[in-house]
Amino acid sequence: MSDDAKYVLDREFDAPRDMVWRAWTDPKLLAKWYGPGVETIIHKFDLKPGGVWHNEMKWGENSMLSKAVFTEVSKPERLVWHHHSSTDSDWQTITNPKMPDWPKILLTTVTFEDAGTKTKMRLTWEPYEASAAEIACFAGAMANMGKGWESGFAIMEDMLTDMQVG
Amino acid sequence: MDQIDFTNSGLNTPPNLDAIFSALADPTRRDILSRLSKGQASVNEIAAPFDISQPAVSKHLKVLERAGLVERDIDKQSRPARLKAEPMEAAINWLDEFRVFWEGSFDQLDDILNTMKQNEIKGKDDE
Repeated sequence: MSDDAKYVLDREFDAPRDMVWRAWTDPKLLAKWYGPGVETIIHKFDLKPGGVWHNEMKWGENSMLSKAVFTEVSKPERLVWHHHSSTDSDWQTITNPKMPDWPKILLTTVTFEDAGTKTKMRLTWEPYEASAAEIACFAGAMANMGKGWESGFAIMEDMLTDMQVG
Repeated sequence: MDQIDFTNSGLNTPPNLDAIFSALADPTRRDILSRLSKGQASVNEIAAPFDISQPAVSKHLKVLERAGLVERDIDKQSRPARLKAEPMEAAINWLDEFRVFWEGSFDQLDDILNTMKQNEIKGKDDE
């Protein structure tokens, strides 16, 4: 798969790697930070290849369910899972209600690199077992994010500002 | 339950994000959009700086039009194309959701890690 259809996010945390790993893999800690400004309820968290993470995010009257199926758990450097971005109440994968061609499964890889008292994290998302339409949709979105975040995205922002002024 | 059909409801048509992102996947089409962000333009004017023919530009414009990103003036002979703000904004918002999600989450993770570090120091003091 080409790099165009990949979402990459780098972030450095001011904490040693073991601690960052714990915050990611202890469901009690994970629920505290995963999902900004929402209540995160982890219904199931089985940290092993083939194990699932059933996640619910609640805000106001809304609730959003998603599922992760772990494929690799290499403490403390690598965590890989299939991210099913939308599920029904039986945790069965469904198409995204807002966007039918959004990939139903995103292969999510998080790596943690030891940098002394700090930890470098990289998160990548790429479509998994996706249809041509899903890949095109994701690639189009990524072309305007990721690498193009500064260029393409900035152009669009300018456009909007100009149009609002004009 | 009956599904609401938006197909012919004109202005109420919600932006089709699938079509928008497929349209945006092509670099030439993104260039055309940048050009149009500076103001409306005819096919001739759009084609001028590019190494592509007018029919090719027309084809790209059709894709952008179908995605709802561009509209053409049917009254004038040159049929100038211009950008439509609303679908573009929907696309930006969709992309922004991920940025907001992860950055917001990781800001919270920073706080958790700080607390963990303090607890660890405190734990050592207690020994």
